[in-house]
Order: sequence, then structure tokens, then C-alpha cells
Amino acid sequence: MSARIFPVALVVALGAAGYGCQGNLQGPPEPNVGSGGAVSGNLTPEQVLASPACVRPAPGSAPLRRLSNAEYRNTVRDLLAQVPGIGPAVTSATADFVEEAESLGFRNNVDFLGVSSLVAQGYLNSAEVLAPLVAENAEAVGCSTADAACAKQFVESFGKRAFRRPLGPEEVARYSALYDKAAAKGYGFQTGVEWIVFAMLQSTQFLYRVELGAAKGQDFAPSAYEIANRLSYLIWQSMPDQALFDAAERGELSDKKQIEAQARRLLADPKAARLLEYFDQWLDLDRLSALERDGEVYPGIAANLPELLRDETHAFVGSLLQSPGGSLSELLTAQYSFLNAELAQHYGVSGPQGSAYERVEMPGRAGILTQGMLLSHDKPTRTSIVRRGLKVRLDLLCDKVPAPPNNVQLNLEGLGSGLTQRERLEQHRTDASCSGCHTLMDSIGVVFEGFDAVGRARTVDESGKPVDTASTISATRDLDGPVADTAQLAQALANSQAVRDCYVAQSFRFFYGRDYTAADQCSMAQLLIAFRDGQQSLSELIVALSQTDQFLYRPAPEAL
Amino acid sequence: MKRLDRRTLLRGGAGLALSLPLLEAMLPSASAQAADTPRRILFEFKANGDQTARRFSATGETTFAFGEFLAPLEPYRSDLLVLNKLSRRYNLLGDKRSDGHQQGGASLAPWESGEGSYPIGGKEGVTIGYVLGPSADHEIGTRVLATNPGVKYRHLVYRVGQKNNDIWNMHSHAGPVGTQNPVQPETDPYAAYSRIFSFGSDDAAAQVEIEKRLLKKQSALDLVLEEAGSLQTKLGRADQARVQQHMDALRDIERTLSGDNGAAGCLPFDLGTKLDPYKDDNHEAIGKLFQKISVLAFACDLTRSINFNWSGNTSNRVYRNLGLDEGHHDISHDSSDEAFVKIRAIHKHLWTMSTSLYEALKAVPEAGGTLWDNTLVVHWNELGQGDSHSENDALVVLAGRAAGHFNLGRYLDFQNKLTMADMLVSCFHYMGYGDVLKWGDDRLNDGAPLPGLTA
Repeated sequence: MSARIFPVALVVALGAAGYGCQGNLQGPPEPNVGSGGAVSGNLTPEQVLASPACVRPAPGSAPLRRLSNAEYRNTVRDLLAQVPGIGPAVTSATADFVEEAESLGFRNNVDFLGVSSLVAQGYLNSAEVLAPLVAENAEAVGCSTADAACAKQFVESFGKRAFRRPLGPEEVARYSALYDKAAAKGYGFQTGVEWIVFAMLQSTQFLYRVELGAAKGQDFAPSAYEIANRLSYLIWQSMPDQALFDAAERGELSDKKQIEAQARRLLADPKAARLLEYFDQWLDLDRLSALERDGEVYPGIAANLPELLRDETHAFVGSLLQSPGGSLSELLTAQYSFLNAELAQHYGVSGPQGSAYERVEMPGRAGILTQGMLLSHDKPTRTSIVRRGLKVRLDLLCDKVPAPPNNVQLNLEGLGSGLTQRERLEQHRTDASCSGCHTLMDSIGVVFEGFDAVGRARTVDESGKPVDTASTISATRDLDGPVADTAQLAQALANSQAVRDCYVAQSFRFFYGRDYTAADQCSMAQLLIAFRDGQQSLSELIVALSQTDQFLYRPAPEAL
Repeated sequence: MKRLDRRTLLRGGAGLALSLPLLEAMLPSASAQAADTPRRILFEFKANGDQTARRFSATGETTFAFGEFLAPLEPYRSDLLVLNKLSRRYNLLGDKRSDGHQQGGASLAPWESGEGSYPIGGKEGVTIGYVLGPSADHEIGTRVLATNPGVKYRHLVYRVGQKNNDIWNMHSHAGPVGTQNPVQPETDPYAAYSRIFSFGSDDAAAQVEIEKRLLKKQSALDLVLEEAGSLQTKLGRADQARVQQHMDALRDIERTLSGDNGAAGCLPFDLGTKLDPYKDDNHEAIGKLFQKISVLAFACDLTRSINFNWSGNTSNRVYRNLGLDEGHHDISHDSSDEAFVKIRAIHKHLWTMSTSLYEALKAVPEAGGTLWDNTLVVHWNELGQGDSHSENDALVVLAGRAAGHFNLGRYLDFQNKLTMADMLVSCFHYMGYGDVLKWGDDRLNDGAPLPGLTA
């Protein structure tokens, strides 16, 4: 890796491409190492790590994280795995959960996981459905004497899994007292157990990933059980399994090597497929279901196209995650995809015969860039050059785009009917107040014109005019220049350090549940180095996320 | 005739429960209730601006005439107060905002935007965030709860058609001032209905089961609250605040666990065949269900503040029912005459649907009149006109007899000299909170309610 690494310092200063972009389209300012430490200026990650700020472990903040909706669902599925049919039961019990407020494209930002009364009501309703399923299930209850002693034993065993650490004696007493209260009212054992589960599923100890930490030498770190939770929520988006609990119990999660070994074990487990949640949110696959396409412009489109497109990307990304060689570069440039018969027919490709997704060579395609991710932002009757470009600009380059000015006409669509969309936008950009910013989106978006709004390759656009995909990329940190088509754009993106830094930044945001700040410079440098040295391997970056100061340590508690 | 008691039956849902059926004798006598009939407010949002020059064909205070897309309001004109050309003054917020849709969408919470959530607009080098303070619907609801122990819900927040939540489509905020705390709306009317209403039966066995559920819930909430309090003592300040918010939410739920209501019109209704709430083609049916739920919530006095949205702002709904094939937001950015024909058609459709809310309010008897007499509907939009993201020229229509607070049947042109925030102050005054002289950022306020509105 030759090029100088921009140490994503991160900060929010990433990008800001062509800010205030009227007529001044230089590249974005190079990000600076933030003011959190004794370093400044553009340093390589190695220089950052060698600086005084990173001599001792330097974790950033570690706020109390509520389980996201996805984490909640996974956790109760695992917690209640002994209950037959728990999967559909959880889906139904949580169907009314309100979606988390989005922040930087993700729905798991700790600052927007507050519990409003509507959210709390959702937890109550879900607990009310799920608790009896446990109480009715002898295997899940685990003892058969059906008395107070059995209930106490249940509090300890189920509680340890629900709270994901052993309960203290006062906690055992608290939940046992709930059983006693039900018994005193004349309710039977099953009701008492139901009440215990009902309360535990609404407990802050269940709904949050509570970390109190402990001194570790001169530093401060999560406890062994807290590390077990960090690992399982990092990779499985869910609670630890028995092996992780056992490792925590035995004190075998105290050094980096042990933690790395566990991370690799978790990655090899089928539950690692839940990592796709990150890609769903990053690439907006979770928005595909809202896809509306006009039946006259796109006749005969399968009603389940959103699911087909999502499954395609899942199969593709899943295959990359399962191989250490699956890299960011391949994610962006692969000239193959995974199709079943229905999707192959949609694309006009031969090969797959059944409903299973198989690898199919697709020359001219470019990984996720030409899969569903771009389509969800298209329009009912046509592609959207602006939104496709914006997607790449924001999500792959981590740039920022200024807001359009107020109180001036913002004609995006209406200029010059009879022109192609590209021509209309070109005309639009002759207006100086529009050109600066629109170049940011349009110059990238036009390259995708070789694909229609339902993802099929094409040579003519909606109005029958030949598509022109050649463009000159500008206002980027390191990929300015001419590109002829998506294959060339994909290669430019794959070669771009800005894109790599952005991928690491997005991963930080999702997996650590917050945006990075200057205080995260040491962890960010560790991730950048690991990503580079791992040849941009997607799965190795996941392992690396378990090896940073941010993961292995906690900031010392503030005086209470 | 002897008045019958309405036995409250808690079916065990968190919501209110009522016995059935409603008999004539159960209706309250009009004279007894008139004095303390509650005042209600419902904010109703439509997206993407309209066409400012075509709103009215005549603009005299009492001789005004609605233009094409406002024409559905004509039969109600004597119960309306039309406020044209209010400003938002968001230019004064400098870079503490994103685009006109985003900040205009926060018109009920006219505070600066914070940082950290979306890379469009805002200050150089930082991303823009949610607004930094509560919305009027939330504050009004909080004030109502403080003095009305029988009211169960601070406010209800509904949005038609969109499940995801972002800095554009969230129009209700919990605050406090200085804090980004958007309130997620309910988007599924079937879930929203069953959350707050549960109409029980008189069956004795059912009553036993209800009491058991109630005890379970109360016992669990007690435990969880005690445990959360204990957790708080071990946390840093920011995390304490997170847990505190959670505890406050649990107390909100406790408030809803029991209670009764015997108001006329507090009756269940059939929600009909379940439709997908997120399909554009279902927006009218889903919106009307939310209207009926809103009216019923008022009738049962479950809440007095509702934030209802026909969509998020920047909505790109396709109105196929109007023969359109492009999204609303896309159309709104086209300045051609043909595009404005479509914009007018969309708004005429939306205003027609608004009048079904009026009719639903008028259909519920209360205190010798109907709910319409004691309700204010505040119609608003995030923009004046869509193709220019105009922050000025806001149109607000106040509808409903609103307990006689306003001098109705008039058109007022504010020439962009006074603001949406001032309008919200007028809403606080209507609700009885005359101490409120500004709502939101100082720069967006003039320190008084809008002049000339009241009776």
C-alpha cells in the first residue's frame, strides 16, 4: 500500500466535498487528526499510533447502548431458542416496534435509541406475548418441582442468560419476590414464572448492554462478561452463546488473542449471517420494499422484485464475508452475482434453474454498484442520475453535500422536454447556483445510465435515446478523472483511499453504535492499518473491530 | 330516565376499556358538561408546499374566495381562520439547518438543528442533526397531563405511509431544549388503535382475567422502575439521563393502565379489512383510519393533542388515484405549468380528505354540541411553494370552532412579517396557556400571539 493514508481523523470533517460549491470545486479538505490528542496535521495511522496520545489504551466514549430492534429480535430468538416456533412468534410479537430514528444512515446510533412511551409500550406488548411461551415450556423452565425453590433456580438460570451475566443476590431476591407476589395472590407456578419473564424482558438490564467495567492494570476495561457481550453483539447482533459465557466465567476473555480467537469462532458460525444487517442499513437494502415502479414503463416486473434484489445482495455479500479474501474491492467490482431462476430471467441472463441463488458470471456488472442498492433511490418511471450519484457521494465517499439554496427555483425535472435526463441536468448546471453542487452528484450518477430503474442493463433510456455513460469525476479526494462506464468507475472507487477510509468509518459507526470523534483517533488508526494489511478484507475488518482500544477498554468512570 | 353507570372493564391491554353497548341513557347531559369541556388541538401536515399564487382568487378579510385546490374548504368557511403568508425566518438560523424541507418540517419545533445525523447542509465540516427542542404538540400535551389526571396520553403522533424515520419526516420532538429527541410516529393504524383502545365485555370471568393482567403489569413496572433507579446510581450523567427517559416512559404507561371514561361517542369502530399501511395506493384509507382514531381518542378524552401527518415532508408518494405516475416531491420541483396542474390536483385531493376529519369531529356529540365545537385543527406544510423551497409564504388554516377562542370566517395576510412560531403561541393561548409568549428560537418569534385572531 503506497499512498499516504489519510488518517480519517476523523471527525466529522470527512468529506465536505466542494462545500459552498459555487464555482469552487477543489477537492475536499484533507481530514485532520482531531484535537483530542497531542497530534495534529495529516499523519499516517502508524504516526498516530506512535504519538503520545496512543501510548496508553485510548478508548473513546462508551455510552449505554439500548438494543436496536434488530438486536432485540435476535436476542429473544436466541434467549428463547428452546421454545418451538420462536422465530415467527418473535416476528409477530415485535411487528409493531417503531423504527429507530436514523442517524448517518444507521438505525442503531446510541443517541437515538432512547425509550419513549411508544417504545416502552412495544417492549411491554412483546413481553406479554413471549413470557407465557417460556412459562409453558418445561425445557425452558429447567426444573420440575414447580415451587418457590424451582422459581428461584429459574431466576438464576434464565436471568443469567437474559441479563447476559450472573445475577447478584439482591437481583435474585427481587425477581423471586415477584414470584412470591403472584403466589400470594393464589396464582400458580406457571403464572409466577410468566411474571418473572415478563418483567425481565422489560428490565433495563435486558434492554441495554449495561457495562460498568473494572480496573485493568492502570487502565479501565469491560468485565469478562461485558467483553463476551461486545463480541456477540459485534458479530451476531445478539446475546452470547454458552461457550462465550463459559469463557467469561473462566476468565478467558482477558487478552487480545483470546478475544480474536472467539471473534473468529463467531464469524464461522451461521449466526454471523446477521452481519448483513450492517449492509442492509448502509446500502439501504432495508428500503427496497418501498420500491414503486410504474407498470406501464416497466411491464411484467415481478411483484417480489424487492425481495429478489435484496436476496441477491445478501447472497453476494454473504459469500464475501465467508471468505477472508472477500474484499471491499471485490464488493465494488465483481463481474458476477448470485441469481435464482426468477432474477436471472429478470436480468435476461441464463443459468440458474431453481429458487436457490447461484453464482453467475455477469460481465459489465460491478458488484453492489449495479445491484439493488442504487435502484431503491430511482423513480417510479425512470432512473435518477442525481440520487444515484448522491448515494455514492454520501455512502461510499463519506462526502457532504450542501443544502440547495432557499427561495430560488430548483427545477430538477422540467427543463427542456425532449432531452435525455442527462441533457436536462447539463442544462440545469448552466445555472451557476446549481452547477457547483450538482456536479458532485451528476458526474457520478450519469455513469450508471447503462442500467434501468429495475436493474437491467440497457443501451437506450426511457425515452428511447441512446445512453451515454462517459463522465469526468471531479471534487473527490483521489479519484478525479474520466471514466467510460460503471466498470471503470468501480475500479476507480476500489482504488480510492477515500472509499477505503469511508468504509472503515461506516463500519465504526454501525458496529460501535455512534459516530467517531477526535477521541477515537487511536482506534481508528488501528482499524485503518488492519484494513490495509488485511487487503481490505471485509471479514478481517470485523475481527479487527474486536481488537481496538475502543473494543478492549472503557473510559474510566466519571465521578458520580 | 335513570342514568346508567358505565363500568370500566380493563381487558388488560394498556389502553382504556369500556363496556358496551352505549345506551341512550348513558349519554351525558349537555348542560352539566359545557363548562369544563376539554379543548383539543390537532396539527395536520401536508407536504412539499403548494402554489402560492393560486391559493385564493379573492383576498378580502371576509370576502375571500378559495382557489381551485382549496375549494373543498368552502362549505366550512364560517368555521375557518385562514392565515396566509407567514414567514419561517429560517435564514436567521444560518448554517444550523439543512434544506427548506428539513427545517420547515420542524415548524412545530422551531429550534436550531443540532449536528451528527445527515450529510446534507449544515455547517462546514459537520453533518446536520435533528432540531434541538420540543414541538408544540408535545409541550401542550405535557401541560395537559400535568393538570388533568384523567387524560392518558400526552400526545398521539401519526404519519401515513412511511415507516422509516429521519431528520426530514419526523415532525414531533420531545426535547428538552438543547436536546435532539425526535418522537417516532405511529404509522400502522391497526396497531395504533389496539394500543389505546380496548373495549371489554361485562363477562365476570373476563373481568377476573383483566384484573390479573393489570396486577402483572403493575407489579412488573414497579420492579423495573425500582431496578432502573438502582442502575442509575452506577452510571455517568449522560447514561443516567437515558435511563431517566426510560423511567419517565414507564410512568407514562402506568398512567394508562387503569381508569375509565363515560363520554358519549367513545365507541369502538370497525377498522375493516387490513391494508398495507405503506403502499401509496392505500394512503387515503389509512389516513382516514388515523382520522377516526384521532377523533375517537378525543371523544374518549385519551389525549388532547395530536400530531397527524399525511406523509413525511419531502414525500414522494405517487398519487395513482389522481392518474399521476411520478412522485409528489419530484413533481414539486418542476416549475412548469403542467407540473402545477398536478400539484393543485394533489392538494385538492389532500384538502378534500381533510374535510372528512371535520365531518368525523362533527359526528361526535359532546356537551350539547359536537367535538368540532371544542377542537382546533391546525393545517400546515413545510414549505410555501415546493419548486423554490420557499421558507416564506406559509399557509396555515385554522379549522374548527375551537371553543369560540378565534374570530372565524376570515382571511388574514401576514405579508411574511410574522411567523409560524407566533402562530404556535396563538395555539398555546387557545389551549389555555397564556403564559407562553414565544415558542422556539428567539429569532423566530415576536413575543406575542398573532394579532387579530381571537374573538
